[in-house]
Amino acid sequence: MKQPQPSNQTGLRSYRTRLLVAMMLVVVALTTLGLFLAQRKVAIEAHLDLLQDFRNELATLHGVQELRQAALAERCRTLVLRPRIHAALEDNALDLLYPSAKDELRDVVNSGDDAETSETALSARFYRFLDGKGAVISPPDAEHGGEVSPEEERALTLPALTEEQQLGYLWRNNSSAHAVDEILTMPIVSTENGEVIAALVLGVKPAEFARNRGGEIKSGIWLNGRLHLPALAEGEQRALASELARAVPQAPASEQSFEVTINGAAQLLFYKQLNPGSLYPPVYEVAVYPLANAIARQRQIRWHAVIAGVALLIVGLIASHFLSRRLSAPVEKLAVTSQHEHTERVRAEAALESTGVELQRSARFSADASHQLKTPVTVLRAGIEELLGREGFSSEVYDELSALLHQTYRITGVVDDLLLLSRMDAGRLQIQIESVNLSQLLEEWIDDISALPDDLHVKLKTNFPPGLHVSGEKRYIALILQNLLENARKYNVPGGDICVAAEEKGEFVILTVENTGPAIPLGAQEHIFERFHRGAMGENVPGHGLGLNLARELARLQGGDVRLVRSDGECTEFEVRFRTAQRTAVSVNGGVAPQSA
Amino acid sequence: MICRALLLTPVTLFAICHLACAQAVIEGRVELPKTRLAPVMTKRYEIVTKGGVLATNPPLAVVYLEGAPGKSASLPMKQVAQKDMTFVPALLAIQAGTTVEFPNEDDTYHNIFSYSPAKRFDLGRYRPDERPIPSVLFDKAGLVTLRCDIHEHMRGLILVLNTSHFATTEPDGHFRLTNLPPGKYTLKAWVDSSTTKEQPVEIKNGSTLHIDFP
Repeated sequence: MKQPQPSNQTGLRSYRTRLLVAMMLVVVALTTLGLFLAQRKVAIEAHLDLLQDFRNELATLHGVQELRQAALAERCRTLVLRPRIHAALEDNALDLLYPSAKDELRDVVNSGDDAETSETALSARFYRFLDGKGAVISPPDAEHGGEVSPEEERALTLPALTEEQQLGYLWRNNSSAHAVDEILTMPIVSTENGEVIAALVLGVKPAEFARNRGGEIKSGIWLNGRLHLPALAEGEQRALASELARAVPQAPASEQSFEVTINGAAQLLFYKQLNPGSLYPPVYEVAVYPLANAIARQRQIRWHAVIAGVALLIVGLIASHFLSRRLSAPVEKLAVTSQHEHTERVRAEAALESTGVELQRSARFSADASHQLKTPVTVLRAGIEELLGREGFSSEVYDELSALLHQTYRITGVVDDLLLLSRMDAGRLQIQIESVNLSQLLEEWIDDISALPDDLHVKLKTNFPPGLHVSGEKRYIALILQNLLENARKYNVPGGDICVAAEEKGEFVILTVENTGPAIPLGAQEHIFERFHRGAMGENVPGHGLGLNLARELARLQGGDVRLVRSDGECTEFEVRFRTAQRTAVSVNGGVAPQSA
Repeated sequence: MICRALLLTPVTLFAICHLACAQAVIEGRVELPKTRLAPVMTKRYEIVTKGGVLATNPPLAVVYLEGAPGKSASLPMKQVAQKDMTFVPALLAIQAGTTVEFPNEDDTYHNIFSYSPAKRFDLGRYRPDERPIPSVLFDKAGLVTLRCDIHEHMRGLILVLNTSHFATTEPDGHFRLTNLPPGKYTLKAWVDSSTTKEQPVEIKNGSTLHIDFP
């Protein structure tokens, strides 16, 4: 056991390795799956958070813008109610229109550079009036209305005037600092006839471009296929503009966001039409939000996940190692034990085989010897009987011949017993288990013994119910009975008693045979069941010392036993145990596979 | 007081003319538009717009004799006051060359101006106690729309005429022109900013013509 065979050792090792590998695979698979799911969940949540952040920031931006626009619109609404403007328009004094407006718009239109510094001011960079047909009423001179090129003025014209205010954006050609102006067109409704007679166009510097607002959002304007996003370089703007030109026509009127790559950096792009329903060309607010931080954050999370995964994996592997050892330990032990047992068994089998061979050899020897003996004894007996049949011998010679004849019978009995025993020892004795009527066997024996001449004058007492059935083969049961009862007769004192009693006790039938013979010496009691033990009996008692041994062996073969209960001079008592026959299943049990010794 | 002054003025004129010569008279009636219930917004204003046309409410017309210059020297000063955020009178007919004062009788500032081609002026903001009372000389015939720069709803009309022979009708449309010089003229009736009815008249000395504008 301490040095198991190498093949077993490797088998054991490979078992342990396989177990370990399987567990590791499971651990790795579970860890990977778990990490993948966790990472994905985190990534999705991060993305949603990012979008939410983005939306919030945009919402803030829009809030400011809307407030500003509302203020501007309110201001315009007040302006277009001004009596001087109405007077100029209604009283056929268009020449006074721009001069009047200049006064009225004094607080709105920035007069100089001071407006550059104040971002919250509603600083109009130019203004124009549209006539009732939507065409621009040109100002009398450059002093009025701010600088707008004829080309830009054309962009301000509307196909028709409506009562709605119009929002648009204007590309400025001459100005490099502010490439785009926001334009708000407010209709002027005549107080005389309630019709829209003109409109005031106010060009305002878009506040959000004055400075990049806090946060990471860069916002701009996409108009007529051109992008104004001052925070980005020219090339980036062009690239983004082409992206937008592709994306916007697919979903023009709604808010959309998608990811773009600008100069290799991922950005979240958002666009939204600023002037839905306006008569001016559609203008889109475009905001980009760098995903670099988010990506870095995600990468960090991924790293954390990987590190956690590795740690988890290591722990899992160690755990699985220990677990596999723990699990394989009983198997190993079992393997070692079985190895040991296997060796033992092999050894025992070898020993058994050699013993069996020995036994068989000796049994065969006994059998052969018995057969070889029987023939000369038979011949001898036949010769003696023939001599007894002759006449002319003296009576002493007849007595001697008679004694010789008796001795041949003894030899035959010994040979028969030996033959039986040798068959038992060789395991060749097959017992046909059946239901045997013990009571009947006893009756028959009592009939036989009564017919025999009896010089000892023993008295026979019987006490057994009829119909006791035991399980076994009839002739061997009879042999047991014969041996015991013969002994009881033989070793009795003249005029003694023999008591035969039998009763059923549970699964056994107990038969007791008592005689009143002399006590078996205490030292000999334990040897009486050995072969060729004859006690201290005189040679005048017939027998050869095999009877008790044979009886016990046969009884044991049939599931019973024979033992000496007592032998104290007053009474010597043997007890025989038979298995009770199962009466209902007699026929079935009769067919049971033969028992071998 | 102003009203009394205004009422007194034609009477005085009439008296002067009557004393000078017993001249012709034209009287009649201008068929004024039916008073319609003006829009709520403008109901309280004297000048209302109907489809871009300025008129008074209740309707009034000015009947004048075109081609009769009348006297031109020392024309009396006229007044259009601002009272309760309206011009009083809402419609004033004057002869060209008349100076009109615009007294502020409200408790707030007014800024009377006009962009009308006949007379552009801007009196600027002034308080009720502004002295001298801001005034404007109307030297060119035509319709002048008065506005206030502070109160965008305020409207007033001044009809500047090249004649001294004019009269504002009664609310029922009746008018009476006296001391008319004989000759052939065109009698016109200004009903609103876009409607001026006219009829040729020949005035003889001492006669009384009856002319209705349907």
